[in-house]
Amino acid sequence: MKNRLIQAYKQAPWRVQVQWIGLFLLGLVLIASVAGVYLSISAQAATSGRKIQSLGNRINDVNNEIAVLTTRYAVAQSTEKMRTRAEDLGFVLIDPQTAVYLEVPGYDPDASLVLAPPRTNIISERPIVQSTYRLSLWDWFTEHIWQITDNTNEEGLLP
Amino acid sequence: MKTPSHFRYVIITLICSILGLAIIVQMVRINYSVTAQNLISKSEEYLGWEQIIYPPRGTIYDRSGRILATNQIAYEVGIDLKYVADPESIAFTASALLGLDYATVFAMASTEKVQEENRYFVIASFVDEETVHELQTLKQNYLDRRQAQRSSTPSLSGLVWTPMRQRTYPEGSLGANVLGFYNYFSRETAQGVYGVEEAYNRLLTGKPENVYISNDPYLVEALPEIAPGASLVLTLDREIQAMVQETLEEAIHWSGAEGGTIIVVDPETGEILAMASTPFFDPNKYWEYEQTFPGPTPYNKAVGDAYEPGSVFKVITMAAALDSGVADLETTYVDSSGVYWVEDLWPIYNWDGGAWGENDMTECMQHSLNVCLAYIAIDLLGEDLFYDYVQAFGFGRSTGIDLAGEANYPLRLPDNNRWVILDLATNSFGQGIAVTPIQMVAAVSAIANEGKMMAPHLVRSVIDNSQQYNVAPQVISSPISAETAETLTQMLHIALEEEASNALVEGYSIAGKTGTGEIPTELGYTSNQTNASFVGWGPVDDPKFVVYVWIEKPTISSWGSEVAAPVFKNVVEQLVVLMRIPPDNIRLELSAN
Repeated sequence: MKNRLIQAYKQAPWRVQVQWIGLFLLGLVLIASVAGVYLSISAQAATSGRKIQSLGNRINDVNNEIAVLTTRYAVAQSTEKMRTRAEDLGFVLIDPQTAVYLEVPGYDPDASLVLAPPRTNIISERPIVQSTYRLSLWDWFTEHIWQITDNTNEEGLLP
Repeated sequence: MKTPSHFRYVIITLICSILGLAIIVQMVRINYSVTAQNLISKSEEYLGWEQIIYPPRGTIYDRSGRILATNQIAYEVGIDLKYVADPESIAFTASALLGLDYATVFAMASTEKVQEENRYFVIASFVDEETVHELQTLKQNYLDRRQAQRSSTPSLSGLVWTPMRQRTYPEGSLGANVLGFYNYFSRETAQGVYGVEEAYNRLLTGKPENVYISNDPYLVEALPEIAPGASLVLTLDREIQAMVQETLEEAIHWSGAEGGTIIVVDPETGEILAMASTPFFDPNKYWEYEQTFPGPTPYNKAVGDAYEPGSVFKVITMAAALDSGVADLETTYVDSSGVYWVEDLWPIYNWDGGAWGENDMTECMQHSLNVCLAYIAIDLLGEDLFYDYVQAFGFGRSTGIDLAGEANYPLRLPDNNRWVILDLATNSFGQGIAVTPIQMVAAVSAIANEGKMMAPHLVRSVIDNSQQYNVAPQVISSPISAETAETLTQMLHIALEEEASNALVEGYSIAGKTGTGEIPTELGYTSNQTNASFVGWGPVDDPKFVVYVWIEKPTISSWGSEVAAPVFKNVVEQLVVLMRIPPDNIRLELSAN
């Protein structure tokens, strides 16, 4: 039987060629797939990088804008401006002898001022760039294999 | 037998091999050549750069949360040679809008672009937002015109600006002597100078971080979160501070004085509600500091200048006498000649040179009799007891107030070779002893606060990492008992009332003492110049404020009772409104209900 099979292949050399061509094409497809994955990940990593830069700049812009507005607010509320505004509105300084005093239960003029905490951004515990984009293809592949294996174990499909 | 085709194969193989080898050799050579190394090192420069990120300096608020110091955005304007197309337009614009020298800017903008390190020139720093807005509009107009006319000029390409933080004080000179300033021009060496800015410089500054910023999108990381510098909530009340500064300015003008200081303190906590001192100064123009404070002029005289206080110091002598029990309200002193002889060598006279007859202790204070106080110090207290009390009241050492630049003039004590018994006599009425206004206020606050001396302080809370830490008031000593404090307060209240003092405020019970300190010269007390002062507190039954007024070298009158007392009255009349303290009758009625 063995001899007959060998004989059959020897009689059809195109089969050997088809095998080689098939193997070559398979290799080509694999290489193309790997290159495709690399390209895709690289493109996403680059986009994310640029997005981080852009968001970083935006944060700076917003902080600068906050600083500008805070200063404007402080100037608008300054003693001199407030006094001018009050005078323009017809207010005058009170005469202590004509002042009327009322007791307001619970009011404590000496109560300690509690200022809202200053602006701080929430520090994300997660990195902005996903760990996937930092792995080599091999690392990514093995990690996912392990994940699949772990999930399967958790679901009890395998002993 | 080798065929010709075999040789051809061999030759082709050899040629290919040699070519391949040559390519490999060339690749290796290029990679390891000097040029390649230079290129690699240059390429690394483009990969990214290291940058120190400075956190924004903390904000300073008054006790009600009004901003006294913050950071605004200003701009650094520079020339980026890579993009310069029209040096003339750049130089002209910089000259017109930024006030820069045309020739200098033109020379910069025309620099050869071959030298990489000369790519960027800073031409102006801390340019305000409005000017930058004008530059931006002009640049855009030029761009639009060029596009319409399809020409290359005029152009402001290459003229660039980047935002930077600039310390600003929205209230101008208000509280400037307390705040200090931040010399922001050189970012690397910038620091707080004087006042709170210096005392809390490290907290306000925060922690700068050195970070690497990559140009490679694959290596970009989010910038680390850098916490801003801590913010401070001061004990100052902006409204009271403004009122006190305005009153002081008017008082100096009215009295023809050289300068002055007013401090308002809450005696229960030691919180400084207002602290004004001349000369006034706008920290937004801190570079004018040397013109405003020539020579040894202290930035804040309230803490940085020691002077002979005069009769306000009698309060301390009387406190020592009452607390130690060597005198009480019934004790009398008979001033028969108007002079007290110290060891038959040195005469002590009253302020008017007259003899006042028999006086009890209240009258001694009411008439401010030097001979009486010298008698108390020498004959009743003695040097040990007197100086023990003086030191217990904090004289001779810093108060530890949280401000930079506190001065302290050491006491001349009996164990000092230069001390003589005359010092004890003169010290008893505030001559021959140098104190700072803050020392005097801290000491008197003990009398207004049941004998407990509180640490004078200016920071009420620190806000760091989103947490607010309140500063607890601290008792630093108890120089006298609560009973003595009460007795002395009543004594000084009666003394003021009996004297019909210029310091009295209608509807409010006030205790206090005037002071007229002679200013010594190199030849002794030979000048007619004086330091007029007044220290007072109220309401007497529950003191809410201590006000200290010091007017330097007034010309309208040399007496504290005529110069400083009316200023005190003026301050207190406005202070009770701002502190919402009703007149005594209303307050007592309200508290009785």
